[in-house]
Amino acid sequence: MLNIKNLEATIDNKHILKGLNLNIKPGEVHAIMGPNGSGKSTLANVLSGKNGYEIKGDIKYNGESLSELSTEERAQKGIFLAFQYPLEIPGVNTNTFLRTSLNSVRKAQGDKELDTLTFLKLIKEKASELGIDEKFLSRQLNVGFSGGEKKKNEILQMKLLQPKLSILDETDSGLDIDALKIVADGVNSYKSKENAFLIITHYQRLLDYIKPDYVHVLSNGKIIKTGDADLGVQLEKTGYSNIV
Amino acid sequence: MKQNYDFKIDKIKDLTSEEISLRKKNLDLFYQTGFPNKKDEDWKFSDLNSILSNNFNKIANNDFLPREKEFKIIDEFEHNFISLFNGKLISKDFPYEEKNKILINNFNYKDGLALDSKNSLYLLNNALATGGFSLEISKNYKLKKPLVVYNNFSNSLKEKIVNYKNSIILNENSELNIINYINNSSKENFMVNILENINIKKDSSLNNILINNSKCNCYFYKYIKSDLEKNSNFKNYLLSSGLKFNKLDIEINLNEENSNSSVFSALNLINKEHQEIKTRINHNASNCNSYQKVKNVLNDESKGVYQGKIFVKNIAQKTDAYQLSKALILNDAAEFDAKPELEIYADDVKCSHGSTSGSIDLNSIHYLKSRGIPENEAYQMLINGFLSEILEKLPEGKIKNFLKEKLERQINGY
Repeated sequence: MLNIKNLEATIDNKHILKGLNLNIKPGEVHAIMGPNGSGKSTLANVLSGKNGYEIKGDIKYNGESLSELSTEERAQKGIFLAFQYPLEIPGVNTNTFLRTSLNSVRKAQGDKELDTLTFLKLIKEKASELGIDEKFLSRQLNVGFSGGEKKKNEILQMKLLQPKLSILDETDSGLDIDALKIVADGVNSYKSKENAFLIITHYQRLLDYIKPDYVHVLSNGKIIKTGDADLGVQLEKTGYSNIV
Repeated sequence: MKQNYDFKIDKIKDLTSEEISLRKKNLDLFYQTGFPNKKDEDWKFSDLNSILSNNFNKIANNDFLPREKEFKIIDEFEHNFISLFNGKLISKDFPYEEKNKILINNFNYKDGLALDSKNSLYLLNNALATGGFSLEISKNYKLKKPLVVYNNFSNSLKEKIVNYKNSIILNENSELNIINYINNSSKENFMVNILENINIKKDSSLNNILINNSKCNCYFYKYIKSDLEKNSNFKNYLLSSGLKFNKLDIEINLNEENSNSSVFSALNLINKEHQEIKTRINHNASNCNSYQKVKNVLNDESKGVYQGKIFVKNIAQKTDAYQLSKALILNDAAEFDAKPELEIYADDVKCSHGSTSGSIDLNSIHYLKSRGIPENEAYQMLINGFLSEILEKLPEGKIKNFLKEKLERQINGY
């Protein structure tokens, strides 16, 4: 599904990714761990198509070169990034945003756009699965939401848009245990043979709930070690310094 | 552009010789300065004289009422209406109200022509105004439905100026919501110059909304002078994007204690549109509040101006005055000028003002795009979010929805 070959990324003259290779197949869950500043969030930003990076190397998504796709086209084709810091957008109603988003994706995929009533029914259902109070949906997007509420809102968007590849950028940060469980349940219930996950995290904590097939250690812009779920457990005990 | 005026008082019918001479005096005074230009501090950022010179060959006062097809009526909510056609009161209907509680007439010019040499548009209005209305709401009467004032303008006003005066009086403990609706979609250049006097008596409340139905090549000026008595409220919502030139000049006199006023404005300007909001809030009594929040989005080569002055008289203790202007500038060729002024002579007051301008947050755009929303829609969402905040304080309902929808249409280019 995703094939990254020798990816390099530079921003503001800082060389951050320095030859990263990664292959993700449908149905797989990959975790990327690594110390601060290793390039984890840069990888997420580059995959989402954020402007400002100078990119070398090759990223193929279902055989198509990502560099030719705009951010919105990537999203429409099923790439989803759950942001580390979801943005607060004053004046934009959460429901309106969610509906515009869903309908943009549906339209691009050749599906019929949902009318307000059908949408509201759907979103209520999805929100209650994640324990999100309905009143959040009528508030301004992420404005005044707590850290946990923002992260839940990201997972809600994931479940609504039904992406093929979901990238979770430190979704566990700022979550208490209850919220972490809800988020993990949200991810686990969405996992299937057709879709894949790339989970970026500092800690093993989230991986206790979402079992990865592969754990990669990212350091200084490269993946320096790959293993199975046990690697994450080991890292939690020994820290990065033994590997890096 | 002085040589290109074609102003004739004798075009105006049914004037007494006294009125003619007073109007002539006003016109002579106007001729001494002509249209306001940037040398005048109040017009520093909006040089009307050169704007008109660049867009009009000559300018004449309007003297006829051509027959024209019906204008579009608002059907989104039930309302009373006053319909003006090129300034002249042509119809009115208050089907939801007790008829004897509302007095509506043609504006009476017999007692409305004071000389005021400070503002030459005021003088020109005094000289040439015809039409307009005067409205009076009886004591203890609260209108059940809003009043729409249709300001219809015909498509045959090429290079004409329309001048009129309105007067609105809310007697004690009365309530009124007005929607001033500018109805024209003409490609012809014309100018409108309106003077409006508003009197809000004790315990009364007026909501005043200004909005356009579409883009038009109108050069618009409206001066609103308002006087508030004890415990009264005056709220303004200025949403009149789409005019070629627009200056809304609002004077609010808080003359007795516990009166409140606010001015909210949300404008999305495109092409070479030029709009100025000017407010002058006079705190003449204690314990009054005033609040102004002006938001502008500037595209293309548009220009937005906000001049806001708060004056606090020495006796106006416990004044609470707040002023904020925010602009989003989306193009290097667009411009926004702000001139906040505080003049305070009382010592126990709370006054604050602020002004910011910036560009759109690209991280927010990225966030929206990462959810599949196309770039242009992402921009529109953010602009709409920025401006629609102005409507937040309006109660939920059909009017708010109507205004939201109008604002969205203005942002999406009608």
